[in-house]
Amino acid sequence: MISARNVRKSFGTHLVLKGIDLDVVKGEVLAIIGPSGSGKSTLLRCMNFLEEYDGGEIWFGDELVGYRKTASGRLVKDSEARVAAIRTRMGMVFQSFNLFPHMTVLENVVEGPRVVQRRKRDEVVAEAKQLLERVGLSAKEDAYPGTLSGGQQQRAAIARALAMRPDVMLFDEPTSALDPELVGEVLDVMKALAADGMTMVVVTHEMSFAREVGDRVMMMDEGNQVEIAEPATIFTNPSHPRTVEFLQRVLR
Amino acid sequence: MDYTWHFQVVWDYRMVFVRGALVTAQITFWAVVIGLLLGLPLGLMRRSEMRLVRAPAAGFIELFRSTPALVQLVWIYYSLPILTGLQMSSVVSVSIGLGLHAAAYFAEIFRAGVNSIGRGQWDAARAIGMTYSQAMRRIVLPQAVRRMVPPFINEFASLIKLTTLGSALAVDELLHEANNLINNTYRPLEIYTVLAVAFAVLIYPIIFFSQRLEQRWQRGQ
Ligand SMILES: Nc1ncnc2c1ncn2[C@@H]1O[C@H](COP(=O)(O)OP(=O)(O)OP(=O)(O)O)[C@@H](O)[C@H]1O
Ligand SMILES: [Mg+2]
Repeated sequence: MISARNVRKSFGTHLVLKGIDLDVVKGEVLAIIGPSGSGKSTLLRCMNFLEEYDGGEIWFGDELVGYRKTASGRLVKDSEARVAAIRTRMGMVFQSFNLFPHMTVLENVVEGPRVVQRRKRDEVVAEAKQLLERVGLSAKEDAYPGTLSGGQQQRAAIARALAMRPDVMLFDEPTSALDPELVGEVLDVMKALAADGMTMVVVTHEMSFAREVGDRVMMMDEGNQVEIAEPATIFTNPSHPRTVEFLQRVLR
Repeated sequence: MDYTWHFQVVWDYRMVFVRGALVTAQITFWAVVIGLLLGLPLGLMRRSEMRLVRAPAAGFIELFRSTPALVQLVWIYYSLPILTGLQMSSVVSVSIGLGLHAAAYFAEIFRAGVNSIGRGQWDAARAIGMTYSQAMRRIVLPQAVRRMVPPFINEFASLIKLTTLGSALAVDELLHEANNLINNTYRPLEIYTVLAVAFAVLIYPIIFFSQRLEQRWQRGQ
């Protein structure tokens, strides 16, 4: 569903992704772990081209993300419309929620399907209400994001992403900005989503989530993909010293 | 100090003030229209990543922000007819001059407003597949406009006051009409007092309205 081939990315002279290779298959939950600054967010943002990668290729299904191949095989940047069209099929959830503060929760969820996909209002609203019920926010439809708790905001943000009927969901540390007692309610929504068969890429510091819900776990360090394996292997029998060290540190 | 105030004189000539106020309003109106029409694209241009687009906008804005408005008006009054070959009245030239002046300030207000919306909002808009212009119209501008209103109102009020510079070019706005009146009546104190009140009457409602609007939006958040 998503394939990365030798993906490289630098900010100025700082090489942040040093050649990532990765395949996410349909229905899979891939958890990405690693120390701060290792390039996890950058990799995730390259997948939907919020960040432009400058080497390698990222494929979403049979489409190259962000670039188009010319007859001579060179890559040139794709049109804004094509990139936007690809993004509608990938949902993204951010650490800081990023709900639209000038809209109610329901309006937040309806916005994408209405404005971007131009679907019918009645249909979109009905579906949005279902989604809000699914994330336990039916009572908050008409509330503004500023009046919600962090956990409620993040659940609303998940509903907003799902409203586009995406094929993949990308999560960038969805629980890192939350008070500890609110983490559970967001993880529960994500678990339910995974159980429904959603393809998910989840950057997370929640090792228990990675272990329980992840089909595979990828460890990143300094822009490198250190290892990628099933959670049982990573957590009980890591093959790389950097992984051992990292897990010792975060799991105490 | 036993000055006797004679406001009767002012009352006798009240139509002069009304006429002056209309000219002031007219200049302000056109200056705001020109300012908005030019200022919004200028502000957008200055945010561009392309140097060729950004540099001229920045040059225009900084030129108008770093020179006195009176100098701008006089310069435009004398050189615009030469440059364009069009003869224009002093009212038109002052309206255009203040319009360009306003454009520079509006552009900065616009730019600051848009810049004040964090990257997260752009990310969220792009992530649901919005294009730049959809994100701008639906997500960024509606939030930015609320932050632009107070400085915009400030600039609006200061434009009304700047119309008095027109008197230097013999435009019959409020100050010029008042000065004419003083030459006829020799009652400067009364006339300047009423002039000050006239400006306050024009400007205060705008400030009041903007403060109410801000309060309402604050409660809404
Ligand atoms: N927009 C940017 N401009 C310049 N440097 C950046 C930018 N975004 C990220 N970086 C740098 O790239 C590196 C990787 O950042 P990234 O956010 O991908 O790490 P991360 O693994 O997500 O870390 P964290 O766990 O703290 O979120 C860091 O050194 C960071 O400083
Ligand atoms: Mg990160």
